[in-house]
This record gives sequence, C-alpha cells and structure tokens, in this order.
Amino acid sequence: MNPAGIPLKEPSVSAAAGDTEQLERALIDASTRVPVLIFYTSAVAWLILGTLLAGFVSFKLHTPDLLSDISFLTWGRVRPAHMNVMVYGWASMAGMGTAIWLMARLCRTVLRYPLLLVAGAGFWNLGVFLGVGGILLGDSTGYQWLEFPSYAAIILFVAYALVASWAVLMFRFRRGEQIYISQWYLLGAFLWFPWLYAAGQLMLFVVPVQGVLQAAVGWWYANNLLFLWFGAIGLGTAYYMIPKVIGRPVYSYHLAAIGFWSYALFSSWTGMQRLVDGPFPAWMVTTSIAATILTLIPVATVGLNHHMTMQGYFPLMRYSPTLRFTVFGAMSYTVFSLVGILISLRSVARYVNFTEASIAYSHLGLYAFFTMVIFGSMYYIVPRLIGREWRYGSLIKLHFWASAYGIGLMTLMLLAGGFLQGASMENPSLAFSESVESVLPYLRGRSLAGILLTVSHFIFAYHFGLMLFGLGRKSTVPTFLNPVEAEGAEAHI
Amino acid sequence: MKGLAPLFLGIFGTFAFSWVGLTVIPNWQIGHLNPQSDEDGTDIYPMPQSGMVQWGARVYAANGCIYCHSEQVRAEYAGADIDRKWGDRRSAPRDYIFERPVLLGKMRMGQDLANIGARAPAEQESPSPGGGGNPAGSPSGAAQSPSPSAAQPKAQGAQSPGATAAPQQQPAASPATSPAASPTSPASKPAPIARAGTGIASPSPGVAAAAAGAASPGAPPLAGPPWPEQTAGLPPMYSAAWHHVHLYSPRSINFDSNMPSYRFLYQARRISDVHSSDALRLTGSDAPPEGWEIIPTYDAKCLVAYMMALNQSHPLKEVKSAGSASAVSPAASPSAAPGGQPPPK
Repeated sequence: MNPAGIPLKEPSVSAAAGDTEQLERALIDASTRVPVLIFYTSAVAWLILGTLLAGFVSFKLHTPDLLSDISFLTWGRVRPAHMNVMVYGWASMAGMGTAIWLMARLCRTVLRYPLLLVAGAGFWNLGVFLGVGGILLGDSTGYQWLEFPSYAAIILFVAYALVASWAVLMFRFRRGEQIYISQWYLLGAFLWFPWLYAAGQLMLFVVPVQGVLQAAVGWWYANNLLFLWFGAIGLGTAYYMIPKVIGRPVYSYHLAAIGFWSYALFSSWTGMQRLVDGPFPAWMVTTSIAATILTLIPVATVGLNHHMTMQGYFPLMRYSPTLRFTVFGAMSYTVFSLVGILISLRSVARYVNFTEASIAYSHLGLYAFFTMVIFGSMYYIVPRLIGREWRYGSLIKLHFWASAYGIGLMTLMLLAGGFLQGASMENPSLAFSESVESVLPYLRGRSLAGILLTVSHFIFAYHFGLMLFGLGRKSTVPTFLNPVEAEGAEAHI
Repeated sequence: MKGLAPLFLGIFGTFAFSWVGLTVIPNWQIGHLNPQSDEDGTDIYPMPQSGMVQWGARVYAANGCIYCHSEQVRAEYAGADIDRKWGDRRSAPRDYIFERPVLLGKMRMGQDLANIGARAPAEQESPSPGGGGNPAGSPSGAAQSPSPSAAQPKAQGAQSPGATAAPQQQPAASPATSPAASPTSPASKPAPIARAGTGIASPSPGVAAAAAGAASPGAPPLAGPPWPEQTAGLPPMYSAAWHHVHLYSPRSINFDSNMPSYRFLYQARRISDVHSSDALRLTGSDAPPEGWEIIPTYDAKCLVAYMMALNQSHPLKEVKSAGSASAVSPAASPSAAPGGQPPPK
C-alpha cells in the first residue's frame, strides 16, 4: 500500500491500534481547542469586515461620488484597508489557526505552551486593528501589501515571533522520526514569513533602499507573501486534508518532494515580473519571468500528485464539505499559476500590466486557492474542536456554490475587463478615457460577484457562530452535503 | 523525509538565494546612484525636493492615489506610453533617487502622472527637476490660452463638409483643421486624406484631435494629447489652481472621469473681508454659497506641489529620448493652430 514506508496517512490508522489512536487524537484536538478557536473566530470577524469593505471598494470604483466626502471612507483608503484586512486579518489568522492544528496533529503531541499562541493571537489582532485604523486615518505607507504604518507592523512582528517560536518548540516535542509532507510546507511558511517581513520592513522603512529598489523590494515581498506564506500553508493543508478525507495515502512521495523543493526554489524568485518594462535593469524582470514559468514544475507535480491521489475518489466530493472545498482550492492553484505565467509573459504583460488583470491574479491566489482550502480545513477542524457537527448541510452547500460562482465570476470579469482595458490603453489612437470606460461594465459585473461572495461569507459566519455557541448537531456522524448512500458511508469523511 | 537539518537548511537556503538575488544584488547594482550633471557640474538632475513636495508624497500615498495612477513611462517598444505623450523618454532608475516613498504604481484607472508637472503652464512649472533645456515646456502653450479648444470646433465645423465633398482642396489648411495631426507630415501629401478622415470620423469636435491621427492612413497613428481639452472658465490646465479644482470636483472638468473627489482636503470658509488668493475658482453647482469660499488645506497644497514637481522631462544620459521633442510640442502648440505654420522639425 505504501512502498516508500512513509506514514503518508497521518497518523496511520490500523485496525488493532484503532482505539488508542482515536483517543490520542481526541486528546490532541482538545488541547488545541482554545488557541485555534481564538485564531478562527478572529479570522471570521475580519473576513466579515473585509467583505463589507470590499463591497464598498467595488461599488465606489464605478460610482465615485459614493460617500467620497468623508476622509476615512475615500476610495484610496478603503481599498488598502480591505486588502490588509483580508491579507493579515482573515487569511493569515485563519491560515495560522489551521497550521497550528496541523502541527499539533502531525507532531503527534498535545499542544504545549498555549499561552504563547493566545498572546500571539491577541497581539496580531491588535496589530491588524491599529494598522487598518491607521490606514483609514491617513497613515498608509503607500507600499502595496505593506501599507500598515510602522507602529502596527512592530506589533504584528512581535505577535508573529510568539507564534513561530511556538512552532519551532512543537517540533522539539514531536513523536516519530518521519516528517510528513504538510510539515515541510508549514515549517517553511513559519520560517519564511519572519525573514520576509523583517526584510521588507527593514529595507523599506528602517534603512530604506534607494529609489526604484523600494518598489522592487515591495513586489518581492508581496509575491513571496503570496507564495511562501499563503501558498505554503494552502498546499500543506491540501496535502493533509485530501488523503485524510478519502482515507488513502498520497500517491507519490517523490513527486511531493520534487514539488516542494522546486516550489521553494522557483516561486521565491518571482515578483519582479509585476514590474515588467519599468525602470529596472532588464535582468531582474527577466529572471522573475523565467522563475514564474519554472513554477510549472511544482504546479505540475503537485497537481498530478493530488489528482492521482483523488483518482477514483472524486465522487466523494458529493458528500464531504472538506473535500469539496479543498479540491476546488487545489485545482485553483493550478489555474492561478497558469494565469500568473500567462500575464507575466512580456508580450502579454505589455497589455495587462496596468489593468484589472493583476487584481484577478491576486484574487485567484488568495481566494480561489488559499481561502477555499482554508474553508475546507475549517469544516474539518471546527467539529473536532467543539465536539459538535455542523448544523446544516444545506448551508455548507450554499456557501460553497456562492463562493465558487462568486470567485469564478469575479476572475472572469476582471480578466476579460483587464484584457480589454489593456487593448484600449495600448492603442494610442483611442482616448485614454476609453480604456477606463471599456472596463467599467466589467467592474459592475465584479460588484455582482462581490454580492455573491458577501452572501457566502455571511452564511459561513452564521454557521460558524452556531458552532461556537454550541448549537451544532450532537452526533457521531459528520455533516454531509448530500445524504450518503450505503456504499459511500464507509469512508471517514 | 528524515531529520530536520536538511529541511531547515533547504528552507533557509532557497530563501536566502532569492533574497540575495532579488534585493541585495540589485541594491549593489543600482542602489547608490548619484544625480547626473554636465561637465561644469551644473544642470544637475534630479534634485532633492522641498519639504512641501515630500509631504505631498505622503498625502498622495495616504490617500491611495497609487491604486489608480502610475508614475512610470515605459520604453517605446514596450507600450504606448510615449505615443500617449505621458513622457518623451522612458523612466529610468535615476529619476527616482530622491523619492521616498517611490510610487511607481501598478494600475492605470487614471492617467500616468510621471510627467504631470511638465504639462503645467510655463510660468508655473517647477524649476527644480526640469533644470535647463526642458523639451516638454511647449505643451504648456495649450494650457496657457483657452483658444485652441475654442477655435478648434469652429475650424472643424467649417472645414469638414468641404473636406468631405472635395478632398483635394487646399492642403495648406490642414494644420488649422487638426492641430494634433502628425507632426512629421505638415502640409505634405497625406494631409488631404487626413483631413477627409477627420471630417468623417469625428462626429464630436472634442475628440477631433484624437481621431485625426487615427483616421489618417498615410501618417503614423498619433493621437492628440490624451488629456481632456481645456474647459472654458477654468484655470489653465495643469496649473496649480486647475489641480485644486480637479481634486475638488473631477467631473466638473471631465464628465466621464471616475476619480473620486477629494473635498475633505478642502475647507469652506466665510469670506471675512477679501477673497483668499487660494480660493478655488468653482462654477455651477460646485460653487460655494454667497459669502463663502473654498480654500485648500495644507495637505491639498502639498499634494498639488508634489504633482507639480513630477517631471521627468530632463534628458538622462543613459536613456534615449524619443527622437524629437516635436513629438510632444506641436500637438499642443498654439502657434500651429491659428497660423497654420508647420511645426518646428
């Protein structure tokens, strides 16, 4: 079953050891309850705030006079506030929640030093709160993804140091020699992020580099945050959830190793392709374009690995919420990377560099891939923390379809609008205003997609709230999306 | 995978590789540039900016202008920026050495602003970044006099029926018809065609300048200035006073604009005895009630000072300027319109 002799399904369940294993896992899950739920609850609160801000941003872009006379609601402040709430409030906190739970499970030890995590979550929330407040009050730094003023950034860093030191400590207490694939990614994420954040802050604010290099450092930071922080957590989670839910080991360990190392090597070199044709030495941009194209290797290996693992088990997506969200996210990772390669090619970038297409790219990465995987993991983890099952299968289904259609529509609108906008912009015989007018209908379509996503997030928050207040179902059978027929029931969904 | 050591080393190694490659080496290559100067050590470019300009950059960053406006001109082969007259050469790292934060931008829901200061009327143009020998000084002509836009619809209306009926007539009249028509072919053979083209292709006189370039098959497709025409009754385009009106009420200047207004950067004040010299010249529904005036706050003044200082028109040794300064100047030069003179070659 597992020729490499690796505990690919983790922890392995054998019939004899079944009971003790079950008990052990229940103990580990119980020990993670408080910290993980603090992270999740904060994340969901930020998600709702970020969603409201997003809708506001989207409508204001085609209705510019909407509430524009109030300084802290001007478009140019709400947009970075939305982005930072989503990146640091929702995605980072939810990602850390999942990562903490996975670390405890994969290290096969009860969670130690929970106070480190609780303090970390508190500081992180404080940092995001101060940062977003600072942006709305006019303290934004102007570097994309690093808009938080320095007083907020310092607090975030302290919070992060607490969480990361916990992760390293947990590794010391781990049982068993093997380090599962998910742990590679998680350990990578936990170690890459502080370096990345410190480098970005130091090179932009403490000892700023000269001139255009600030923009280069900014985009290097933003892209690596997307790949090495969110991407790594997302892929690590998918490597755990997919095999776990279908009860089958990962198809190939060697593919996974190739995927991980090529991912670490190539995706960290991307970023400068966002600055194509800008005032930079050509080699910088070209190197990043080459690296972006080379990310085809991790994309192909990871995609193939997941696909082969799922082979024959795709029908389970009909029942398992976790599997459905996670597989959607894993597939989106492929789409995200392919779109990234497409819009980084010089001949294409010439048209779409300054258009809405790059917004589509960010949303594909952060939402269609990362957020969907995290939703999937939350549907798996939260019942294990609370001891109740999700109350309504129908709400989960609604959440899934609203999210899937919402992000699909948004991506299509922004990509199509971006290409049209770019085509008009690169045709100097058309007035510039035509390029803006050509994209406006698509921005209205994007607002429509935003409404779908808002609905989906409110449904999720409501459902999560029910769980939090102990109003979930008391049952030993997980909540399925559809009634399970006899033959599908034996899988541990 | 067994053992933490290889994992740790790999994780650190890959990231260190990227960090050195994409930030440390570029910093070593272009992180310590000096301003350029000529042999006598004069004509220094770029120059450090005043405190107001630097504060204006902070205001620009804080209010998110960067999410719609870029500040970089791409090379001729890489985009239409130079054709759009956003600059007459590509931007280079040296242009930005005194800027902090550097606001290159990634989105163009609005115009590129790398040279917005260079478009100001001549007397207002910021002297510091331009230095001497500023080739982009001439578009200011269009802004100085309100006449080109007023004259153009008239000329257009008078000319186009005739042009459609008899395209072979009087080629010499063509500069008057379309002041923005290709500077490379003044009054030469493609002119009648171009003129016929304008007559048919531009139903609205306002966009005549843009359409003229597009419709003429003989000439390279050169548009008129991408920015809107001077509106009667407003301050000269791209002057400081114009920027204030534009920030206060963007749609009073360009009806189609989707720029938000920044009224919170302005304050209404009761006129005590005399009008403030800073008061905005507003008309129509934007005008304040009788006895009141709208004046810019310090932030607004700094923001406009910053925009007026955005000027990359000074030549750089390492960058080829777009062949001729005429690429910018004749399109807007007022001398071409009434006089019918061919633009300077």
